[in-house]
Amino acid sequence: MTNVDEVMKALSDLLGNRIIKTRTLQPEKSYIHVQTGAHKDAVRIMLEQDKEAGISVITGVDLGETIELMYHIRACGTIITIGAEVPKKDAKIASITDIVPGANFHEREVSDLFGVTFEGHPNPKRLVLPEDWPENVFPLRKEVSVANIPSKIINSEVSKGEKQFSSEERLVNIVLGPQHPALIEPEKFSLKVEGEIVREVEPRIGYVHRGIEKAAESRTYLQDIYLVERICGICNACHAACFCQTVEAIMGVIVPPRARYLRTIILELNRIHSHMLLLGHAGLEIGYETLFHYMWRDREPIMDIVEALTGNRVVASFITIGGVRRDWKEEDVPKIKAELAKLKERLSFYKSLFESDSTLKMRTRNVGVLSKQDALKLCVVGPVARGSGVNMDVRRDEPYAAYNEIPFNVITYNEGDSWARLMVRLDEIGESINIIQYALDHLPSGPYRVRVPRTVPAGEAIGRVEAPRGELFYYVKSNGTAYPERVKVRTPTFANIPSFVRIAEGGNIADVPASFVSLDPCFSCTDR
Amino acid sequence: MKWARLKSPWVLHFNSGACNACDIEVVALLTPRYDIERFGILLEPSPRHADILLTTGVVTRQCADRLKRIYEQMPEPKFVVAIGACACSGGVFEGNYNVIGGVDKVIPVDVYIPGCPPKPEAIIDGVVKLLKSIEGGKQSDKR
Amino acid sequence: MSLDLNFVFRVLVFPGFTFILLFTMFCDWVERKIEARMQNRMGPVYTGPAGVLQPLADFIKLLTKEDIVPFNVKNFVFRFAPIVSFSIFVFSFAFLPIDGVNVIFGSNFEGDLILVLTLVSIANFLLFLSGWSSTNPYSAVGATRVLTQLLGYDIPLFVLALAPAFLAGSLSISTIANVQYIPFAFLIPWAFALFIITLQAELEKDPFDVPHAETEIVAGYETEYTGRRLAFLKLAKDVQIVLGAAIAVELFLGGPYGPVFYGSSDVWYTLWFVLKLLVVIVITEYLTCIFARLRIDQVLVVNWKLLLPLAFLSLVAAVGVGLWLNPLGR
Repeated sequence: MTNVDEVMKALSDLLGNRIIKTRTLQPEKSYIHVQTGAHKDAVRIMLEQDKEAGISVITGVDLGETIELMYHIRACGTIITIGAEVPKKDAKIASITDIVPGANFHEREVSDLFGVTFEGHPNPKRLVLPEDWPENVFPLRKEVSVANIPSKIINSEVSKGEKQFSSEERLVNIVLGPQHPALIEPEKFSLKVEGEIVREVEPRIGYVHRGIEKAAESRTYLQDIYLVERICGICNACHAACFCQTVEAIMGVIVPPRARYLRTIILELNRIHSHMLLLGHAGLEIGYETLFHYMWRDREPIMDIVEALTGNRVVASFITIGGVRRDWKEEDVPKIKAELAKLKERLSFYKSLFESDSTLKMRTRNVGVLSKQDALKLCVVGPVARGSGVNMDVRRDEPYAAYNEIPFNVITYNEGDSWARLMVRLDEIGESINIIQYALDHLPSGPYRVRVPRTVPAGEAIGRVEAPRGELFYYVKSNGTAYPERVKVRTPTFANIPSFVRIAEGGNIADVPASFVSLDPCFSCTDR
Repeated sequence: MKWARLKSPWVLHFNSGACNACDIEVVALLTPRYDIERFGILLEPSPRHADILLTTGVVTRQCADRLKRIYEQMPEPKFVVAIGACACSGGVFEGNYNVIGGVDKVIPVDVYIPGCPPKPEAIIDGVVKLLKSIEGGKQSDKR
Repeated sequence: MSLDLNFVFRVLVFPGFTFILLFTMFCDWVERKIEARMQNRMGPVYTGPAGVLQPLADFIKLLTKEDIVPFNVKNFVFRFAPIVSFSIFVFSFAFLPIDGVNVIFGSNFEGDLILVLTLVSIANFLLFLSGWSSTNPYSAVGATRVLTQLLGYDIPLFVLALAPAFLAGSLSISTIANVQYIPFAFLIPWAFALFIITLQAELEKDPFDVPHAETEIVAGYETEYTGRRLAFLKLAKDVQIVLGAAIAVELFLGGPYGPVFYGSSDVWYTLWFVLKLLVVIVITEYLTCIFARLRIDQVLVVNWKLLLPLAFLSLVAAVGVGLWLNPLGR
């Protein structure tokens, strides 16, 4: 893998004086501000330098007269940011979807929320805001406040603005959602099918869009922890951890070792319960209800452990700025170790089930195949990427919490089908159990939190955490007051959505729920 | 007749903008530890088959029409249970720009179960309270 | 014309309509308990002793719900298909000996096996019509799947049903049941096993659960039904399961005939019938629980490439066994 210095050198050589300036985002991430037209070339140079690079997210920041667009590229195991500014009055910039197809949804979101037009985008439609949202009201611009937005009249007529598909009569339009037993959350997939083969897929998200990024700007940092935790109940500890890490990077606070280990433990417990939830749900999707019931029964001890540690089964509220909120009770530890050992034995039963059961294999083998090239082009993250052979894991690439001190393996499978993605998650449960047991054995003593100053100094930082579904990305900008200037959240499912379209097209309708569930979608994360 | 209604309440679960925490506690009700099938409660896929609507989550602008339509598709007598702090009143998200508020701004609610998320035992308690009030002669709200 | 009270009693109460209805509900309860236990749960517990009255409560509750008929449906078919389907299934019971003789005396005739199987196919077709008339895309897909699956699997079903008919030398169900001193399940076990698998497909149970794939097509052909019609639709499905198991019992397990220990032979025959039926139901439910659901194209592959050839082979083997037992010319 090329390293960061080589990439920076290549950029400065090839772009020359189109670079306006460089600066550093905490902690030690490079930021290169280029002229508005040069951003595409910069991205292309970086992709040439690192073949496995991909775009993480595009952040928009309202700077008053201009909007700053930051293209966060994931390369060489870290994030290198290319920045460009566009004036608000004439917010236009070239789209990069022709070189990086994975930037499709990021650009649509920025145009929805900031009003920036990306020229050359293949499908510039609304993404997260509803169809009946008033035109020219861009919520994340500073001058728009919630009170200005006209309130909604509720009627149950069908809303306008459904995508008009290609007018071929033999295609039947089947709509999955928003209320559908397969999907716990509301979102809509319009499938055009011919017989039983799916020809076109159009996802429509935004049903769970609660405007969290804007809300975060009007709450203090401490209140924001509770807000971002509730972006998604399943991976709530990861959101809290990432936000706290980012704010601590701005403040320059070092978290005590005991807190780092406790954070690791809660993050791994989060990962285990999320994977087990998903594997049970996968059983339900392919009609295997017995697997669903067994898996969720075995998941209950994990919820009990989380409750013993934090006081709540699901939304832990355990991590805070400067450490964690509570300490471990010594007398709980042997019981927890016993439960984990039992779970490990059950894992071998599930593993043999997945490897040998014939009907399960018939439904998941060679179903929903995502090749490695597609995975890289669409910039997917997490077990979806690892199931297609892409070896990426934030815990190893940029260790946070206590991961630099705990040995673990990164699991990859090369087949790229639904079975491979489910197996990646199954094996990761085993790894997580090992990590927790190691952390419990080596828990350092000392304080579990440090006092932090009330106000956060001005600055900006990036934080990344490996959530159960993939890389979770936070960008926080502080202007020295009690309220953050900008909080940008990019959740792993948002990066994985373009792969839904690729996986579903050309397959059977019956495979659609099975392959979607192997991608582990979490739409409340996606919509924020 | 009332006996049959009490002994066989079929539920439909709808998420109108929740963070998933309440939803996974609702799904956990089916699993062996809590097993609400003991009470005759079945999770039904279609609104036309269900008696009780379990909604979770705050109501976003996009989901408001859908929620109303699903409520109208359910046959009488029908009841609505709002699960979680967000469904009751908007929760943490009150005042955000895409959010309308609690469920009772769209459809009439019979039982409110607070919590973030409420434990499955609390949800079962809420459903049992609803059944008791049906027994006591509660009629479904017609709006 | 004098009313034959015995006839009325037999048709309406026992072993006629009421008995079939209550027994269907009992079998529904048995299935739910087995499924729950296999999944490590308890199933219905509080409704009546051990939850036995749960299916009855479900039925009564559905009868009292508001009746909604969507705007666009094909009215006549939508309203009547469930009830007609249910009636045909119940009527087919008339040809099966339950307590030693048929429900209606003397209603058996040569070829009533073919009639019963045809009636079952017609009733299934009506279920398809109920989904087709709903004009809901989910119902349409569910209905098409029902038709594809059932029409496909009817053929091996017929072929396999011919095997015991050949061994018994007759096409009348009551005769086939009567001649089984040793149940045919032991003489031609391969046909019995294949018949059970084909039955799984006819009754739309896992692994052939496709028409009811909740997670893909909501509730399939039942989606738009509420209230009374849903009650009859669900009941039709349950009666279909009991009918299928009853046919299996008659053809392969010797029907109601078994050792009579003392007292009235009617009671003992009914008892044997019920016991054998429960055995078949337990086997099919067990198979349901341990398999995932196959896709529709995989279901068709299993039918045309696997079951049909095996069904023919088993018929040939059954003919061989029959000839061995009863050499031609004797």
